[in-house]
Amino acid sequence: MNDFTPYQIFVPLASFVALAYAWNLVVRQKKSVWEAIIWTVFWGGIAAFAFKPEWLDTLGRLTGIKRRENVATVTSIGLLFFLVFYLIIRMEELSQRLTNITRDVALREAGLPEKKPFDSAQGGKPK
Amino acid sequence: MPSFAMNIVAILPAHNEATRLEAVIQATEPYVDAIIVVDDGSTDQTSVVAKAAGVQVVRHRQNLGAGAATMTGIEAARRLGADIVLTLDADGQHDPQDIPAMLNPIHEDQADAVFANRFGRRNSIPFIRRIFNAIGNCLSFAATGLWVPDSQCGFKVFGPKALRQIDLRMNGYEFCTEVVREAKHHRWRIVNVPTKVIYSEYTIAKGQSFANGVKTAFRILLRSFIR
Repeated sequence: MNDFTPYQIFVPLASFVALAYAWNLVVRQKKSVWEAIIWTVFWGGIAAFAFKPEWLDTLGRLTGIKRRENVATVTSIGLLFFLVFYLIIRMEELSQRLTNITRDVALREAGLPEKKPFDSAQGGKPK
Repeated sequence: MPSFAMNIVAILPAHNEATRLEAVIQATEPYVDAIIVVDDGSTDQTSVVAKAAGVQVVRHRQNLGAGAATMTGIEAARRLGADIVLTLDADGQHDPQDIPAMLNPIHEDQADAVFANRFGRRNSIPFIRRIFNAIGNCLSFAATGLWVPDSQCGFKVFGPKALRQIDLRMNGYEFCTEVVREAKHHRWRIVNVPTKVIYSEYTIAKGQSFANGVKTAFRILLRSFIR
């Protein structure tokens, strides 16, 4: 049996948490099965590369990264990718808030009656 | 639900459509109970034209995009007690005479949402538009898992169930894909109805550029991943 490195333990665990989160959202009907499948492919791939780093040799042949020391560079790029991803999500949230404010102002200025007693974000279920 | 009891509201999201809007409003009025024009931060006389035509106007103080304008219109329609909402472009590319055919599946309780299909009948559509729409359809399918033959068309009808449940968060043109996602997510019954489309130099110029198309595609994929 192989001895696992901390990386090979931590990354698949993180992937498992991400997958559990995604499928939990499916159960709660906040995410579609299709989207969960996309998540599964992505995080499954990350976990697979953690378990079988030699599969990266194929990538190495494609990218030219041969020395294992370069893993630090690759990891840094991965970290930066995550940060960019996180920033995009935050930016989307801010954009959504701005949209909501503009919408509320527009509806108020149009003199429309207040919201009906259901919340669209809750699938139209009565509060 | 009997059709005679339904309050039908048309939503026209409009950005700098002062020259076209009045004709679209006049052509749409005979088929609906009310019209809401969502002026999406126009810098021309769009709001003035809409008010002069006697319809409800909701004005964004700044331009947010077609998706945000559509959702604002839907929210306004809910507040006005709408049972059925239809959306169509304010540039005159859709023929309001198709509205009865689009409403039929809702009245007959065969659908929760109706999508227009510009490719379902003989229409003169520029080749490049066909390519863009095909790419849009493929992206929508990749992001949602539901195939819609004309997913990027702005002419849609939402029945009572869809109107109650729809919650669009995408501001730009990518909202068309989000509508498909909502349909899949809430298990709406979908009907595609072949409709006429009128492409003119004006509507082509108002359409999406290639750069916008790429940006929209990126946002569709990103959103489908992070949502």
